[in-house]
Amino acid sequence: MPNDDFRPPGLSRRSLIAGALGLTAATAGGGLLSGCSGSSTTDSAAAGAGQAAPSVTLGPKLSTVQYPQGYVGPVARTLKPLTTEKVTFKIVVKQDVTIGDWKTNAFTKWLEQKTGVHIEWSQIGGTDDDVMTKVNAMIAAGDIPDAFLGIGFTRSQLFLYGAQGLFTDVGQYIDAYALNLQQAMKDYPDTRKLIQAPDKKIYSFPGINDCYHCRAIDGRGWLNSAWIKQVGLAMPQTTDEFREVLRAFKKADLAGNGKTIPFAGYKDAPIDPLLMNPFLYDPGEPWLVVKDGKVDVAFDKDQWREGLKYANSLYGEGLINRDVFTADEDQLQRYGNAPGKPLIGGARSNYWGNFLDIDQKDPNARWRQYEACPPLKGPNGVQYAAWDYLTVGVEVAHLVITKKCAKPDLLVRWADAQYELEAILRGYGGPKYAWAKKGELGINGKQAIYGFDATWNSQKNINWSQDNPMYRSQDFRLGERVQPNDLTFEKPLYEQTKERFFPHKQPQEMQFPPVTLDQDQAAQESELRTNLKGEVNQSFAKFMTGQLDPNDDGAWNDYKDRVEKIGVRPYLDLQQAAYETYNG
Amino acid sequence: MSAAGTLPPDERRLAVGAAIQDTRADKIAMACIYTALGLFCLAVLYPIIYVLSASVSNTKRVAAGEVWLWPVGFTLDAYKAIFDYDSIVSSFGNSVYYAVAGAVVATILTLLAAYPLSRKGLPGKGLIMGAFVFTMMFSGGLIPTYLVVHELGLLNTRWAMILPTALAVWNVIITRTYFMVTIPEELVEAGKVDGCSDFGFFWRVVLPLSKPIIAVNLLFYAVGQWNSFFNALIYLTNEHLFPLQVVLRQILIQSKVDPSQMPDTSKLLQLKELQQQLKYSLIVIGMIPPLLVYPFVQKHFVKGAMIGSLKG
Repeated sequence: MPNDDFRPPGLSRRSLIAGALGLTAATAGGGLLSGCSGSSTTDSAAAGAGQAAPSVTLGPKLSTVQYPQGYVGPVARTLKPLTTEKVTFKIVVKQDVTIGDWKTNAFTKWLEQKTGVHIEWSQIGGTDDDVMTKVNAMIAAGDIPDAFLGIGFTRSQLFLYGAQGLFTDVGQYIDAYALNLQQAMKDYPDTRKLIQAPDKKIYSFPGINDCYHCRAIDGRGWLNSAWIKQVGLAMPQTTDEFREVLRAFKKADLAGNGKTIPFAGYKDAPIDPLLMNPFLYDPGEPWLVVKDGKVDVAFDKDQWREGLKYANSLYGEGLINRDVFTADEDQLQRYGNAPGKPLIGGARSNYWGNFLDIDQKDPNARWRQYEACPPLKGPNGVQYAAWDYLTVGVEVAHLVITKKCAKPDLLVRWADAQYELEAILRGYGGPKYAWAKKGELGINGKQAIYGFDATWNSQKNINWSQDNPMYRSQDFRLGERVQPNDLTFEKPLYEQTKERFFPHKQPQEMQFPPVTLDQDQAAQESELRTNLKGEVNQSFAKFMTGQLDPNDDGAWNDYKDRVEKIGVRPYLDLQQAAYETYNG
Repeated sequence: MSAAGTLPPDERRLAVGAAIQDTRADKIAMACIYTALGLFCLAVLYPIIYVLSASVSNTKRVAAGEVWLWPVGFTLDAYKAIFDYDSIVSSFGNSVYYAVAGAVVATILTLLAAYPLSRKGLPGKGLIMGAFVFTMMFSGGLIPTYLVVHELGLLNTRWAMILPTALAVWNVIITRTYFMVTIPEELVEAGKVDGCSDFGFFWRVVLPLSKPIIAVNLLFYAVGQWNSFFNALIYLTNEHLFPLQVVLRQILIQSKVDPSQMPDTSKLLQLKELQQQLKYSLIVIGMIPPLLVYPFVQKHFVKGAMIGSLKG
């Protein structure tokens, strides 16, 4: 359209890349511009910090709430008003149709009534990349709010803007006022390490969301247990058994009319962690692993080639869908939801919802037939679950306070108040929670703490989704009541993860942690990672589909040469440096 | 008639046949053209019919792949669900507002810029035109533009959607060419002889003769506004001002991205259901207004765009 010609051409894309990088021309300008507009506010921020620190105490615990034995997590307390005078903060958030208008949102009203802190919201629309474009523009133009809530700054971006003085170091305020977070940091001892920048400062108020089953999300696949029974086999434990099961599915043609797809994958959930972990530890993209303190990649190892041979043979036998690299989720849904019978015997996906409709009310719903396929044991006895110890759980950037904020201490206390149990429930769920009665059981089979009606998530304008800081420990999450007549998918997800994946987790030292890069590193890393990702993914697809033969030494060596040329070495040097910084 | 009537029957048939019958090559060419056009038409029509059908079908059966042409399990739930989301309803109204107001403002500006540039006597015409064209190739970039809008106090107002980037130079050029071709210098002179001022001439003579190009401008600008989201994204932070495209992006694209980034399956499920339910009805809602407008502008559109663009 003609209007497009007039729009700054290419800028959205450039800033999009910048969003990932955390640097751009905009940023350079931003430091400059904000440098001059911010001088006055720095004083006021300092004044806020310098005010006599009132000794902060938490409200009394609520006695009505049941906790399971040995419970570690947030506690329900009476929330005390944080301020008596009228205070208003300007906070930038993402627009979300399920949150609705932030101003009239039920949790907004509740929190304001409890804490006395009034928020003036600015809402940014569009996708996450769109949001980052807008945020970069705001920062560059010096149009800076008191804080950003739920904006997905990366660790490297936080460090970049923090080091420029644009984002406030909240470390001192956390130590002085954030009693709930302090407790959470005791419960999760890695927290400080995970949230602090290389300069030992903390540029955002974190959130903790210890989602147990998410730790096994990358390598998880599902198999139809009813079909396995029908072909007279058992849930496969090894690569050979996996192949046998898929062959049996194909032979028995359980979908009918020769339409059976023994196993399906799709483009949004890479299939390589599922097929590679029987051969070597593969955490998925960017395939970084740590061996004896040295950062390494998985994709140029001989065991990777063994995995490719296995993948190639499965695909060659027609055991995996032809469109495993191109199908989108809609396509996978069509396979899974096909009328009459499902077409697929199994799928690589994070949970059932990617390939099936989830009907939580129906005890015979199709999704209940599919069970997690345990990590497979390879011919050499390798069997990893690609357990995610570090990137699930502690999350940065939930609340980022800028230097514009005159009372960062108060905003930190406001964020800390959201670590209280009732605030958490209302914050991510809504007002329709209920405290569990004594004897009601949670997802982990212990005493439950709270429960929601299963339809809570069809309501709008009642919560802040998961944008705000909150403390959802493992015990908290697993303390959600399970009602026998209302079986949600959380319980089987937890149980199957615990039984099948947890025992095979790789040692924690092998996982590459979420590191923070400085500005130069980030620029270099982004380019190298993009190129490596493209090459590895493309070659994986070619080897698997037989366009390249993994048994051919020439093809394998060519591939290794290609990734070498793109720059595995400098990439690893860079990550090694960041890794050492991370480890202090 | 009489000549043909005097011919012997055989030759007469020959004469008539030669006049009407296409050659073999012509027939083949026509067949190819019809096939190609037919295929093209199908390629355009099928997605529209599919989306329409899917939007009035049972969402479960759409997900199961049962819908391929006609609706399966007819229901209007998807359209009813739209009304549950205040932000979608208000954004639709905003989009209409921006499209209408934006088109009117932009068209007025375009006409006022294009007409003087089409007249021979304007001093510095080349320079002004050059300045216009310059902005087609070079722009200040996102941040400076943002700063200007910010300093003008337009941020977070409806004006931010209408004023910045209101004028499209491309449209000015088309419109100027149209004026140069259809309003000859002689007409201006005739007007002057009769004592008509420049403004009077523009109002009484030029505008009545320019319906096609006005229609073209209105349509271009309105559709441009309707489809645009970038300005809204950058300049607006009040949900009540968002146009439909921003909300559409959020629902249709956001809920598709990387499931591994989403720490909570219940949230994921919520987004999935939201998307499944609303996807097609939202697309339909998004395409209806331009579809409604096109037929009315069509006859002017072809004429205006052709004259404006062909002869330069």
